[in-house]
Amino acid sequence: MEFRDYYKVLGVERAATADQIKTAYRRLARKYHPDVSKEPNAEARFKEMQEAYEVLKDPEKRAAYNQLGADWKAGEQFRPPPDWGSGFEFSGGAGRPGGATRGAGRTGRSRAGAAQDGAFHDQDFSDFFSSLFGGGTPFARAGRGAGRDHHARVGIELEEAYRGTTRTLELRRPEVKPDGSVELRTHTVRVTIPAGVAEGQLIRLAGQGEPPSGAGQAGDLYLEVHIQPHRLFQLEGRDVTLTFPVAPWEAALGASVTVPTLGGTVEMHIPAGAQSGQKLRLRGRGLPGQPAGDQYVQLKVVLPPTDTPQAKALYEEMRSKLNFDPRANLSR
Amino acid sequence: MVRVTHRFEAHVLGESDWIAATEICQLCRLDLGAVMELAELGVVAPREIPPGQWQIPATALPRLRVVGRLMQDLGVNVSGAALALELLEAQRELERRIRSLERLASDH
Repeated sequence: MEFRDYYKVLGVERAATADQIKTAYRRLARKYHPDVSKEPNAEARFKEMQEAYEVLKDPEKRAAYNQLGADWKAGEQFRPPPDWGSGFEFSGGAGRPGGATRGAGRTGRSRAGAAQDGAFHDQDFSDFFSSLFGGGTPFARAGRGAGRDHHARVGIELEEAYRGTTRTLELRRPEVKPDGSVELRTHTVRVTIPAGVAEGQLIRLAGQGEPPSGAGQAGDLYLEVHIQPHRLFQLEGRDVTLTFPVAPWEAALGASVTVPTLGGTVEMHIPAGAQSGQKLRLRGRGLPGQPAGDQYVQLKVVLPPTDTPQAKALYEEMRSKLNFDPRANLSR
Repeated sequence: MVRVTHRFEAHVLGESDWIAATEICQLCRLDLGAVMELAELGVVAPREIPPGQWQIPATALPRLRVVGRLMQDLGVNVSGAALALELLEAQRELERRIRSLERLASDH
């Protein structure tokens, strides 16, 4: 695994005071917080900062980290020393508790399409952090009884929200074996997401959160569904909107057209005299539900190019024969 | 490394699902006082069933988690986090409208 320079991540000197570390973290957190930031890779940067702050704000962890020495460079290959953690007294503060949810990929065990978020104990901190402060180290928390709930985000396509889909998640859990040693077990959970799930909707998997240590119940796993932006359709609640190009004569004279929907193409009648920007509704053609959403077809009149003499002649004929003033309202 | 595979049917939480306020607090890293203050600010509408035990609609969970994250990670108070939440939601709605208008205005 690669060494992580937590001081460099927060942009502080090794001799920085606790207040300086806190100030540096807060300043960076405002810039990179995933809920507010538009910076590229904000989520990854924020996790790095949280991990660094988790160590440097805690006097015990910081002292242990400092003991590794100042000669390490970020990215260097690293292995914890064999006597790691010895010589420290522990106040029982939280180390990394026994559970982490990896990403929810579309297929196999991919981590694409989903991201961890939420509380510190939910987060997928680096292997470097786990090897120093995770389960099986003296810094890990003692048993607490009931396991806590975990939370993860799942990204799906709009078509999957319409039809339903499945996702495979990897849940990594350090578990104590009868001989007292800790073994990392990966639980692969295959989740069926029903048709009609909406943006931001929550899915609960009872008992799939943090396992209990000792007596008590396992926590639940909550999945927050996020629907990726679509090439054609815009989603609002359960309704979808499609911007639909039409020729001027289709808008003016009316037309029967073939319109794509999430459930396949349908025939739709454009009424005569339709205008650009006008919305037509296809009832029940949005996301399934009680009630199902609708699809709105927003017309966009597209002018034919005047790149041939014939096209120019037609426009000139309209100019000369139609008594049309598009700016009539401006002169009132 | 040991691998164990389970298969689950998801329970999608909808408008008819309610979660105990104590569980919400743990999920969102908020204390009960903060949740009640958020109720006073109109961010969430809890119900008291039975008397003395508060429940929160499950659909409010994503918003409350944002509030919890903003409070914990940025050090803002309840009012500040609630204000930030509403501004972020307004910003997202405006961005959505802009994208919609851009689609209408752009060349096809």
